[in-house]
This record gives sequence, C-alpha cells and structure tokens, in this order.
Amino acid sequence: MKEITFEDFSKLEGGFLLTKAKELAHWLIKKGRSKSLWPLTFATSCCGIEMMSFGASKTDPDRAGILFIADSPRYADAIFVSGTITKKMANRLLVLYNQMPNPKYVIAVGACTISGGLYHHSYSVLLGIDKILPVDVYIHGCPPRPEQFLEAGLKLQELIKNDKIERYKGYI
Amino acid sequence: MINYKEIKSEELRKEAEELKDKYFLFSIIVVDRINEGKFELNYLFENKENADLINLKTFILRNDPKIDSISDIFPAADYEEREAYDMFGIIFTGHKNLKRILLPEDWPFGYPLRKDFVINDEIRNWTGTDLRW
Ligand code: SF4
Repeated sequence: MKEITFEDFSKLEGGFLLTKAKELAHWLIKKGRSKSLWPLTFATSCCGIEMMSFGASKTDPDRAGILFIADSPRYADAIFVSGTITKKMANRLLVLYNQMPNPKYVIAVGACTISGGLYHHSYSVLLGIDKILPVDVYIHGCPPRPEQFLEAGLKLQELIKNDKIERYKGYI
Repeated sequence: MINYKEIKSEELRKEAEELKDKYFLFSIIVVDRINEGKFELNYLFENKENADLINLKTFILRNDPKIDSISDIFPAADYEEREAYDMFGIIFTGHKNLKRILLPEDWPFGYPLRKDFVINDEIRNWTGTDLRW
C-alpha cells in the first residue's frame, strides 16, 4: 500500500488548513531563528575592541535577540568577522566557518574585512573576506560604531525572517 | 647603556656561549644593506642584573645568507630566527624547525622585507591554495 505523505494531504481539496499549518510552522521557525542569533565571538584587531563594546550593556544586543555567548563555532549561527584578516588568518577563519552548523551567516565588519582597508596595498592582508566567505551584511567604518553593529544584526534578522538570503532559500 | 661589538659571523656562537650565563637574548634585528650586498644582523643581549645591553653586530653576504643558529644556546632565538628567515630568507644552519612563522605556510612569493621585493597585483590578490567555502 502506498504511504500517505504530508504532500498528499496538502494536495487534497480539504488540505487548505494543512498548507496553512505548514506555512505557519515555517514562518515560526524563521522568526525564531532570526530572534536568537548566536554570533561567534571572533575578533583579530581594533574592530574587535568595538565588538566588545557592542556586546556590553550600553548597546545591549541581547534585547534584540543577538546573544554574545557562543564561544565555540559548534553552536554559533553567525560570525561577525571583525578585524584585519591576514592571509595566514584566512585559513583559520575558513576552518572556523566550516565548523559552524547550517544555517550560518557572515557579517563583514569594517574596512579591513570589506576590501583590505588601510592595508589594501600590503602583501599580507586579504583584499576582502568575500574572496573566501559568502558575506550577508557589510558594516562600513574604521572602526564602525557599536550602533552600526546593532543595525547590521537587525538587518540580518530581517533578511532571515523574509527568506532573502540566496543560499538558504527555502531552507528549514 | 649599550655596548656595540662588531664580530665575524663565524665567531657568533663562541661569543654567545660567553654571554650565556649573565645575559638573555633581547632581539635579533636584520637590516638589508642592498647597496653593499650584505645583511646586517644585530643580536641584542640584555644583562639580567643591571639591564645593560650588548649589541653583537655581524654582516653576512646577501647572495649566500647563511649563519649559525644560536637557538640551542638561547632558546629565545628560536622564533626570532624563524621570523628573520620568514622576512629576509636568512638560513640559520643548525636550527631544528626553520619554517615560515608569520606568513602562510604555502606562501610562494619569496621574502617580503628584502628591499628588492616588489608588491604586485598577483601577490595582493593571492588568497592561498584552495581557500574557498
Ligand atoms: S577596519 Fe580599521 S578599525 Fe577595523 S580592523 Fe581594520 S584598521 Fe582596525
């Protein structure tokens, strides 16, 4: 006998309610995911100092659902790449990224991670982390203010909630 | 107070042995004297008691940059020598683990602090082998 699946139900005339239930579940999952981001605390230089200030009580990202408690990549959802990424560090950054579970989001913080910044003409600094990682939100500035970090976090939450991130389209 | 002392590069180990008990290695400073075809190496030692400095200055040829390692006499020289190798390509004979320390392990473009190192677009755009998510 053929097994009856969830899809069969939703194709039925009377499947209206079930489809709605599925949509509701997906909507809830996305909303829940966007409201409990655990960014990995990863920092290499001056932008990292600003990131610490972002995690402190004045900006207080916790009230927006961005919790600075992931000190292991194994349970982080996002990574704020803050600070100069040298070519040697790029390798290590990629290892951290690969250790994070799906779905994972990347925020590039500061001029250095966007384009190399001050060190654009140097031999040792990566010219933008988008050469090795898929970046979702960029924050400009050298260094950016903590408020800009918060705004980037909120932007990312919006992108997740509205399913706007290309590589996780329809990912549940 | 700093005392300068210019020595031959072959005498380095002998001099270092003499300083071993009273001094510790402070730093190794390399200067690229490209016009004279030489590298200038400054070994800075600091007295453990009164913080006096001794600078052992020695020259080696630029096209054959070899000098004896002192990392078995002063363990602090280990990383300093690796850095000098990384940035200037100086070979420290007798060093146990002479490989890149600040640049990536697979860096293919030579030694960046030499005066004749030219930074071009190929070097700036290099990201490492197979570095992609
Ligand atoms: S962008 Fe500016 S503040 Fe940030 S790491 Fe680079 S130099 Fe430092």
